[in-house]
This record gives sequence, C-alpha cells and structure tokens, in this order.
Amino acid sequence: MSDRSKLRGRDVVSTSVVGLRSRRGRTLLTALGIAIGIASMVAVVGISSSSKAALLAQLDTLGTNLLQVEAASGGLSIEPLPIDAEPMIRRIDTVEAASAVIDTEIEVRRNAHDDTVVGIGTLGATPEFFETLKATVVVGRPLDDGLQSLPVAVLGDVAAIRLGISDLAGGPTISLGGQDFVVVGILDELPLNPDLSRKVIIGDEAAVALFGIAPNPTSIYVRITPEEMTDTRPLLAPTANPARPAKVEVSRPSDLLEARAEVDQNLQNLLLALGGVALLVGGVGIANVMVISVLERRGEIGLRRALGATRGHIRSQFVLEAALLSGLGGVLGILLGSAITIIYARRQSWVVDLPPEALLSGIGAAVVIGMLAGFYPAAKAARLDPALAVSGGTG
Amino acid sequence: MTAVLTLEDVHRIYPGSPPVKALVGVDLTVEAGQMVAVVGPSGSGKSTLLNIMGTLDRPTEGRLLIEGTDTSKLSDRRLSGLRSKRLGFVFQSFHLIETLTALDNVATGLLYRGTSGRQRRAMAQAALEKVGLGDRLHTRPTKLSGGQRQRVAIARAIVAEPSLILADEPTGNLDTATGDGIVALLEQLNADGATIVVITHDPDLAARLPRQIEVRDGAIRTRAGEHRALENEHRTVEGGADR
Ligand SMILES: Nc1ncnc2c1ncn2[C@@H]1O[C@H](COP(=O)(O)OP(=O)(O)O)[C@@H](O)[C@H]1O
Ligand SMILES: [Mg+2]
Repeated sequence: MSDRSKLRGRDVVSTSVVGLRSRRGRTLLTALGIAIGIASMVAVVGISSSSKAALLAQLDTLGTNLLQVEAASGGLSIEPLPIDAEPMIRRIDTVEAASAVIDTEIEVRRNAHDDTVVGIGTLGATPEFFETLKATVVVGRPLDDGLQSLPVAVLGDVAAIRLGISDLAGGPTISLGGQDFVVVGILDELPLNPDLSRKVIIGDEAAVALFGIAPNPTSIYVRITPEEMTDTRPLLAPTANPARPAKVEVSRPSDLLEARAEVDQNLQNLLLALGGVALLVGGVGIANVMVISVLERRGEIGLRRALGATRGHIRSQFVLEAALLSGLGGVLGILLGSAITIIYARRQSWVVDLPPEALLSGIGAAVVIGMLAGFYPAAKAARLDPALAVSGGTG
Repeated sequence: MTAVLTLEDVHRIYPGSPPVKALVGVDLTVEAGQMVAVVGPSGSGKSTLLNIMGTLDRPTEGRLLIEGTDTSKLSDRRLSGLRSKRLGFVFQSFHLIETLTALDNVATGLLYRGTSGRQRRAMAQAALEKVGLGDRLHTRPTKLSGGQRQRVAIARAIVAEPSLILADEPTGNLDTATGDGIVALLEQLNADGATIVVITHDPDLAARLPRQIEVRDGAIRTRAGEHRALENEHRTVEGGADR
C-alpha cells in the first residue's frame, strides 16, 4: 500500500503560526523573555560599537602622532630634561612641531587678596604649544612670540570655570604668584591631554623672567609625521638627553584614549554574558510554556494524528512553534535594543553604529534557542499515544 | 470484493495491575457501503474497538485489515498515511480548532495529504455544503451550536472521501433532537455511498441503523435487539472472556 502522509512546507509553517496565534497573550509574554535578552545584547554591542566609532572618529581628528617626552619618574630623584632638549628634538626632520612646557608651582588666585584656587596649576609654554597640541581658543587668542615674556595668560577650560571667567569682556585679570596677569584667551577642551584643562598657560620666558623658574622643560610635546611614528619614537629619548636617555620617558597620550575602548571591552563582555543569561532563562521559559501547551493540546495532537499527521509532523510543528516564538522575541529584542542604542548614542551625540551582523546573529541566536527549547516538548507531543490523545485521557 | 475492514480475533489488553482486558477476541467484517452501529454500555470496550479500527491503537493480539492490507506490519508512519487517505473520524467532543473558521477546520482534513491550500478550501466548502453549513464557512466553532460543530467535524471527516468513517459517540454531547439530526446526516452520507461505523451507548439510536453490533465486556454479541436476553448470559460471556 502506498499511502503516505504528506505535509507541505508552507503548511508546516502556517500550522505553527496558528498554534501561536491562538494564544496571543501567552505568546507575547513568553517571547518577552527572549526579547529582553536579545535587546540587552544588541544594546551592549550597539552602544559600545557606537562609542568606539565615536572614539575612533575623535582620534582621527586629534591624530595619534602626538608624543609626550618627560623626565622619567621613578628612582630617588627626577633628573630634569636638559634646557636644549626641545631645540634638539626639533632638529629631527620627521618632527612636525614641538613645544616645551615647564610645570611650575606658581599659585593661582582670582585676585591678589583671594585664596589660592586649589587644583589649578601654572604652565610655562613655548609659543609652538598651541600648534603642537592643536589647542584652539574658544575666546580670545593664543600666546605668540610677542606675548611670550609679558604677564598674560591663556586659561585651560576647567581653569577658566574655576576662576569664574567665561569671556574676556572688561579685560579680566588673575593673580599668579602675587602678580597680575591679563587673561587673553580660553582654551577649548583637549581630549588627548585632559590634564592641560586645569592649567593656566603663560609664556615660558615670562615664567623664567618674572618668577625665576628653572628653564628646564618638564615635558616636551612632539608632533611627528604620522608615517614616521615608529621610526622616530626611539630617537626622542637619546635626542632629548644624550647623556642619560634612560632618564627620559616617551608616551603617546592617544594611547590612554584607546585604552578606554579596551576597558569598555571587558565591561561589554560582562554585559553580553548577562544578556546571554537572560536569553538562557528566556529559553527555559519557552520550554516550560511549550510543555504546558503540549499537555493542554493533547486533543488537538490526537486529532492531527487521526487526520494523518506522522510523529515527525507533530514534532516539527512544535519545534517550529518554539522557534517562531523565540524568533518573534528576537525581532522584538532587536527593535528594543536598537531603540536603546539610538537614544543613548544621540544623547552622547555619537553617530549610531549598529553592526548588522550583531542584529542578524541576535535573530539567529533566538531561533536556535527556541528550537533547542522546543525539542523536548515537541518530542513529548510526538510520542503521545494517539488513542489516548483523542479521548482526552491523561494516562 | 475485499471488505473495507476486517478484524480477526482482536484482543486488547491494557497493561496494569490488574491488566484490563478491553477486547477479547473480536471478529468483525465491514463491507463497503455498510452502516454499522456498535452499541454497548459504558466501559464495554466500544472506544477501544473504534481506536483499533482507526489504527490509533494496535491490537495486543489479532489482526486488522483495511481494504485487504494487514495493518499489523505497518510502521507508525505508514499507519498515519493510511489514516490520511482512507479513514475519517468523528469524535464525541468534536475536536475542532477554535481559532480556525469552519472552512479551515474542514480543510485540515486534507492537510496531511499534501493537497494544495486552494484545493483544500474548495473541497472543504463542498463538504460543508453537503452537511448543510454552506452559509457558515467563515464562522468560528465558538459561534456555532453543538449540532453545527458536529456537522463541521463530519464535514472534516468526509472531505478526503475516506473508505471508512468512524464515529465515536457522535451524539454524546448533543440533545436528542440535535443528535437525531446528526444521525440523519450520517444516514444521508451512507445513502450516498459512505461506509460508516457509529459507536453509541444509546440502544434507540442503534436500532435505527441497518446493522447493529453489540459489545459486552470486550466481546461481540450479534443481535442488539435481544440485549435484554443477553444480559442473562453476561456471566457466561465473562467466563469466555477470561479463557
Ligand atoms: N488507556 C487505557 N488504559 C487502561 N484501561 C483503559 C484505557 N482505555 C480504556 N480502558 C478500560 O478499558 C475498558 C473499555 O473502555 P472503552 O473502550 O473506553 O469503553 P467504552 O468506550 O465502551 O466506554 C474500560 O474498562 C476502561 O476503563
Ligand atoms: Mg467510549
């Protein structure tokens, strides 16, 4: 006899859809577990990828070719950089710009009678400071050769706030080490050198002449032709201090910014793992609901067997129901996760970067979890004795 | 011509302690075009018999032949195929899918034959018209009366034009008048050529049908009209059952 049951592929799908549609509330609630898991994973990936994109864009404009040369800390005494370290470095052809700065102990006050403003320092800098650091002023002007030796200052953005100066109307002055200085400019933020935000910048000549500070630079900022970075970097220490190159430390401020992205990576993995746990819990929820559903639908299962459904047909119906249920959760989760990412990124004024492969693998993960969750209930459904099932028996 | 259905010395023992001997040596032949009433008190083994006739259950002993094919050698899969093509079922509790319209419920009767959706719906509509529900195609079962639901179920049983229709207490959930209507419908289908086995515990209903088979304690007594007399032989039957 050649009687064979046959169920068309599209009918497998529509049968499973009917099963889900007939229990809408439960379907949605069950899908929600998966949705939350997927949403959190998508949001984690989306937010960190948007943040990374924003960071890389920022690094791109700031450049990764800025190096900072300092006297090495550590050891009992710090050996200061030689006075001619900066002119020597400038002589290297791949150096585009360099500026020596002297970190001083000069106290900063709003005026001669006021208290010292704690946490704000004074920096003597060569005129190339602004060019080398790509430091721009939001108001006023930078220092230049003509102002180098005069009692004028440019404020870092945080220093300006602390000193209560937001514009240059009326020619504001501050008191540095008991001497009045005219504020001629306020710096924009310096993402690569956040420490400079808290400085009052004066000419190095003024620092030496007016306060008798030793002219040895504390740091030298060096801007290098980008392609020559690797070759040039090792030359800096011996050039700055030929006698004791080991007493010189060379660092790249942009590394710090990049390291922030790496810290994010650890946090991201942790959050992803949490999202994975949520997914797992969602999968267990689906398995539970499917087991209950199979018990409730014995009559339907028996009927389908009587109408000619094979065990395989019943099994695929329930596996597919679970997969669709979970897939629905996946879609909801992706929508939710994307929305969270977009809102968050907008707030941070980042460009939104939602990697499509993250979205696809979100759906894929949901479907796979649903199928796995569906196997056991589906096997139970397929194994039901058709005679018992049609009688609605429980034995 | 081969019989539609043949049972040869069928036993069905449900395992347990003690085991239940639900059927004890049933021989039965149903020819094409017949309409047979299986009657007997509750617990006598009627449903067990029908499940075995419908290949939903297998005999512990003995054989079932459907149109000459010995089903005892068929795999579960083949049995499913056989059901999809040759058997139609009507149950006491209708077993309709509530979220589907009458039309889609009836079309489910063709689902596991691989018939296309379009053809399924066309055939389902014809079947619904045949049972007098041509005006209820798109109504859901919850909006139908009990009698109408059973008609939908009957339409689903006949839509694939099976060789044999098996009905287990089709009037069991219906009042007498509605039940009579259902029996009349089954008689009509039989008159049009369908082979039908109806299970009932209602002797009056059974008496209306051309052939009656009485089941008592898992065995067949032939003449339903004599059931009062048979009750006196009950013990003998039981003795026979335990042989
Ligand atoms: N799945 C089962 N397991 C154990 N015993 C059963 C099962 N189904 C039916 N029985 C028993 O078999 C006997 C016949 O039952 P059934 O065929 O349902 O009778 P009827 O349909 O005539 O009421 C009864 O004693 C019943 O309790
Ligand atoms: Mg019964």
